[in-house]
Amino acid sequence: MEKSESTKIDVVETNKERKGKAPLLGKAPVVAAAVVHAKGGGAKRGIAIFDLILRIAAFASALGAAVAMATTEETLPFFTQFFQFEASYDDLPTFTFFVVAMAIVVAYLVLSVPFSIVCIVRPHAVVPRLLLIIFDTVIIALTTGAAGSSAAIVYLAHNGNQDANWLAICQQFGDFCQRVSGAVVAAFVTVVILIFLVVLSASALRRHH
Amino acid sequence: MKAGAVELGHASKVTQRGVNRGMSILDLFLRIIAIIATLGSAIAMGTTNETLPFFTQFVRFRAKYSDLPTFTFFVVANAIVSAYLVLSLGMSIFHIMRSRAQASRIALIFFDAAMMALLTAGASASAAIVYLAHKGNTKTNWFPICQQYDSFCHRTSGSLVGSFIGIIFFILLVLLSALALSRR
Repeated sequence: MEKSESTKIDVVETNKERKGKAPLLGKAPVVAAAVVHAKGGGAKRGIAIFDLILRIAAFASALGAAVAMATTEETLPFFTQFFQFEASYDDLPTFTFFVVAMAIVVAYLVLSVPFSIVCIVRPHAVVPRLLLIIFDTVIIALTTGAAGSSAAIVYLAHNGNQDANWLAICQQFGDFCQRVSGAVVAAFVTVVILIFLVVLSASALRRHH
Repeated sequence: MKAGAVELGHASKVTQRGVNRGMSILDLFLRIIAIIATLGSAIAMGTTNETLPFFTQFVRFRAKYSDLPTFTFFVVANAIVSAYLVLSLGMSIFHIMRSRAQASRIALIFFDAAMMALLTAGASASAAIVYLAHKGNTKTNWFPICQQYDSFCHRTSGSLVGSFIGIIFFILLVLLSALALSRR
């Protein structure tokens, strides 16, 4: 207590006499640390704003993929007595999984926007960013799972497989195939955006010293 | 009183450093198990070869992983991921010794996330084909080949397990790296 009082008196005298060569030893590092803290906050806020923009882009891409897959339905203009040549997404369980998984991803991205806004408002908060990173990683796994499995089925539909005697159905259902391939591409775009989001959150977590 | 406060601060710093070091060691441990899992998957899928005991004049009934391009992609993806994990062991050991490193942790998170996406793509594509091989599809007239190639089917289904374990471990690795970043 006495020490701090004596330091105060010293500072007042130096100010009065304006011999400003001797720096305010007690205050300078504190001021420097505060400046670094504020600068770090500015950069983190910029990262958080970019994060929000990317999140909205990923939401648009995932929504496009889910809708494109779910609205596939193609009926060929001919039919025999036994078969109706019709293709829709629920004919293949993998595509059903794709629609459900992309719907979950879209719901998650909508729910994560408030967390992103919290990160903008409070640039130094650690817990929201940590939560965002871990959930984003899990969602990357889910989206890639849906996109990869549907890509395998789409590849099979385009090329068939001679050894397994699986015919390439795209030769008949051209419109269906195009729609489904577009949905898979949109899902992979979502994955790339999500990976970028994880890296952004990680770089915003670092402590500036 | 001041000396006591300094001592307490020093003690909490030591425990914090200890926890950081513990997390880095756990990271190394997880990586080693993930190497075993992905390598096992690649080998299990890569050594599939089943020849049925009957044959006709024109066709030889044999199933290998290279008959299906998706399985080839699976083997290649698992091989790439296990090679990456072996290389990242060195980075992990570097993080044990120097817990302050931040830029390298961020680079590690990026590569971990990208490799996890590659692994998941391979594993999910193979899972779709294995499901098709088990159940077939009446609408597209795709016949379930598992009814004939039993051992091939078992092998391929089993090799998926190692891959999925690798995916879960990658998620844990990213979480650990993020935690270590935030605690510094």
